[in-house]
Amino acid sequence: MNCQQEIQKLQKENRILQKKLERSEIDRIKLEETNRKKESLLKKVIDEVQASQNQLEQRTLELERTLMNLQVMQDKMSVLGGLVADVAHEINNPVGFIMGNITPAMEYIHDLLYLIELYQHFYPEPSPKIKEQIQVMDLDYVCEDLPKLITSMKEGTARISQLSSSLRTFARADTESKLPFNIHEGINSTLVILKHRLKANQNRPDIQVIKQYGDIPLIECFPGQLNQVFMNILANAIDALEESNHGLSFAEIEDKKNQIIIKTTLDSQNNTVVIYIKDNALGMSGVVQSKIFQHSFTTKPVGKGTGLGLSIAHQIIVQKHGGTLEVESFVGEGSEFAIAIPIY
Amino acid sequence: MLKIVVGHSNDPDSFAAVEEVIQQCTTSLIGNIPQAGILFTAIDFEHHLILQRIHQAFPGIELIGGTTDGEISSVLEFQQDSITLMLFCSDDIEIFAGVGEQVSTDPFTATKQAVEQAKAKTTKAPQLCLTHPESLTTSGVSILKGLKLALGEKFPIFGGLAADQSKYQQTYQFFQTQVLSDSVPILLFSGNVIFSHGIASGWFPIGKTSKVTKVEKNIVYEIDGKPALEFYRHYLGTLSPSIEYPLAVFAEDGVNFYLRAPIAHDETTGTITFFADIPEQATIQISEAGHQDILSAAHDSFMNAINNYPGKEPAGVLFFSCVARRQILGMQTQQEYQTTKNYLHHCLPACGFYSNGEIAPINSTGQTHFHNETFVTLILGSS
Repeated sequence: MNCQQEIQKLQKENRILQKKLERSEIDRIKLEETNRKKESLLKKVIDEVQASQNQLEQRTLELERTLMNLQVMQDKMSVLGGLVADVAHEINNPVGFIMGNITPAMEYIHDLLYLIELYQHFYPEPSPKIKEQIQVMDLDYVCEDLPKLITSMKEGTARISQLSSSLRTFARADTESKLPFNIHEGINSTLVILKHRLKANQNRPDIQVIKQYGDIPLIECFPGQLNQVFMNILANAIDALEESNHGLSFAEIEDKKNQIIIKTTLDSQNNTVVIYIKDNALGMSGVVQSKIFQHSFTTKPVGKGTGLGLSIAHQIIVQKHGGTLEVESFVGEGSEFAIAIPIY
Repeated sequence: MLKIVVGHSNDPDSFAAVEEVIQQCTTSLIGNIPQAGILFTAIDFEHHLILQRIHQAFPGIELIGGTTDGEISSVLEFQQDSITLMLFCSDDIEIFAGVGEQVSTDPFTATKQAVEQAKAKTTKAPQLCLTHPESLTTSGVSILKGLKLALGEKFPIFGGLAADQSKYQQTYQFFQTQVLSDSVPILLFSGNVIFSHGIASGWFPIGKTSKVTKVEKNIVYEIDGKPALEFYRHYLGTLSPSIEYPLAVFAEDGVNFYLRAPIAHDETTGTITFFADIPEQATIQISEAGHQDILSAAHDSFMNAINNYPGKEPAGVLFFSCVARRQILGMQTQQEYQTTKNYLHHCLPACGFYSNGEIAPINSTGQTHFHNETFVTLILGSS
């Protein structure tokens, strides 16, 4: 390489070095700024993570507390369920004595009344003391009323027996595994327990319950939990009907009729049993429908609804039984819940 | 047969640099005459002089190019303040250039004009489009929309937006011997060309998710109902929003996302302008990348392209990498190219640049998209 070329080469290298120096200064400033931004960003994100961790800790504490309360409640409910079943069983025995004795008692009474009739026929003139007593006790009325009284007592004991049997069905303790269960029995027992809410009161006539039961097999399920779902949906339907009666007179409600239709069918294509519970109350808007199975969502006034009922019902059907719980509702027409439970 | 050669000089003197590049190319051409070329240069050069000198050396060449934020080649690897030229020779591939001007006024007419100009000279079926358009006067998405309209929705388009070494003042595009701004030059490949590509970013969302509540194309007015600038202020304090900290814009599935980098902001109105459009009500998160993420992504991009190459021997490779990658990598920027070259048995002629936005399809059969923070590898050859 000659001297001229060597000079040119050195000049070029000098130009490059100068440019690189100039560029590296600009780049250094840029890089520092980029790093400052990264530092600020990461600090902020760490703060956010810290805040979110604190929130999570707080939430975990709240959840733990709620869980503990729920456990206490569950224990209490389980004890109460057992107690209800025991009491129902204990009531059944004395009711059994009464029911067992009431028929012979009726026969005896019938005989005694006949005997009195015979006495009156063959001894038309009793002693004044007996005459006085007949008058005081109004014997004719007693003879007429006593059989009615006994019939009413018989009906009363039959009702006590039905209620105690329903309470036993409803409150039966669930086992770890599923049991074959007659869904209709579950719905019927729930309706008996809700009878006081379905019957007429001073503001409205009876809520009619129309049962359209299909031919369905026994279902392997947790019966107590399913009854809880029926209770929840039926109680909500009664609430909705009562709300729909607001501002209407007794006669207007009678015309409109408060109605709950319960229909069961076997969907053999999907191998499921489907229970439809439909009311003719006011129905729900799309927004409400989309939220009703959400935890803590309620449309009821403060203190009246927890927003847990349908969320738990959904959990029971979907998670515990692998089924579906859906709702179809039209504003002004009413709502229909469809519970589908697979048959295994 | 496609022959690709590359020249690269980091001499700051324009004349000396272009002479060096021409000499390197001529030596590699071994008597072949180049049909077309693509030129990437730093901002501080006499671009007219360089273009004229190239046309004198290779008369009739179809040439496009533009200014950059850093240049890459198989000759000098990564450089700043350099010029690099890639030349193409082939007897069965047609390569023609076209340009559309005043792209900010009407991107559809400008892109249509560029495509029609290139197509008018072509006799074979167009296969691939390279472009090096303006980045500062209009949204990259608008330019791409125009090109797709003119070439077809699924026509493969590759390239990068012109840059100006992060000054964000003025970029230049080259078409034949002209130095332009606010234009869209293209190079249309027709005939027997085969290619494969890969894209990857390395950026990941970080921080809380928010919603874009008011936007007009690429200008975001409000995020979560507050001025957009407040969102960046929350993370960057008083420092300005910049390309290294883009927004991850989530798709409807809430998992996949694409990146949109800020280009400018307005302190008084609190608005931020991005390189490309962001949809209204989009879920977003600020995102960032570390050195290793960026380098791994460059490697993944290259390996995808290599593994999907449909032919035997590639003729050359083009890289379009984002300026933000260079800014974060700093002294390690050269490793982006180095991470790719070790995977080839012989040195493949390579050329590329750091851009203000990248253009490439997401997969080999899909539509072309506009990207930020991305490393695009395009391998070219003939069947």
